[in-house]
Amino acid sequence: MKAFIKTLFGDIRNLAGVAVIVAVGAAFVAAGYGGWAVFAMPAAALAVVAALAGQ
Amino acid sequence: MDWPALLPLFLTASVEWVEAFTIVLAVSLTIGWTASLGAAAAGLGTLAMLTAATGGALSLGLNLYLLQFIIGVFLLLFGVRWLAKAIARQAGRKALHDEDAEFRATRAKISQGDWFAAWLIAYKGTLLEGLEVWLIVVAFSLHSHAWAANGVTALIAMLIVLAAGLSVRAPLRRVPENAIKFVVGAMIVSFGTFWTLEAMAGPRLPLGAWPLGDWSLPALAVFFLAGGQALVPLIRRRSGLAEA
Repeated sequence: MKAFIKTLFGDIRNLAGVAVIVAVGAAFVAAGYGGWAVFAMPAAALAVVAALAGQ
Repeated sequence: MDWPALLPLFLTASVEWVEAFTIVLAVSLTIGWTASLGAAAAGLGTLAMLTAATGGALSLGLNLYLLQFIIGVFLLLFGVRWLAKAIARQAGRKALHDEDAEFRATRAKISQGDWFAAWLIAYKGTLLEGLEVWLIVVAFSLHSHAWAANGVTALIAMLIVLAAGLSVRAPLRRVPENAIKFVVGAMIVSFGTFWTLEAMAGPRLPLGAWPLGDWSLPALAVFFLAGGQALVPLIRRRSGLAEA
């Protein structure tokens, strides 16, 4: 079961990283700057990838 | 038919089937081809049941934006992991996936167990590798509704890997797995970012979240591919590893 869950969601760092990406997008949209989220969210995603790759 | 989705789907499926084949091949040397292919078929059967159950649950009529959000987050969970691993491997921080080493490790594990333990390894290996293929097929099919085309693409990838594997009867070590994972990881992160933001901002903005619509996807893929490549030397330098 543990292997099954890990295959679907990855480890805790992966989950936290994706939570950050979604939170960045949600924050821009909620603040009324949805148009800027098209730049902020990919940048956040690349930053998370960099953080995970560097660990 | 959702053509842009077929290439990442085919590549993802190929890589996962190569990994599953390596495990089944190692098991076959201990319990024979019939039993190990039977275990693989049982794993695929479990995946088929999972797909049927998923299709049934999704036909209940969920909100489109909610579905897009769930798919987007799942793709991000999957793509971010693949892209980060591919970058870490290219930068030398992580060992390249070695089918020969995987083959030897599986053989060593089997030598300590009995027939049923070996059968279970082939079953579990096929199920877990196939689970990633299932994830991608479900995610892309929910968006495009091209369940048949996407399912057939994954099956074609499996048949090609199986034919190649059975013809050489050795681990398929010539597949450039890390390069494929790099490209596919970038494409899946692009789809994940696109759908997640579309679900969150789409209903609030007159033109949807992405001004270029579906044309934003290739732009995102280029951004993640170029960004990923730029990260490789930075991570290598930070780790104190010599330039390759």
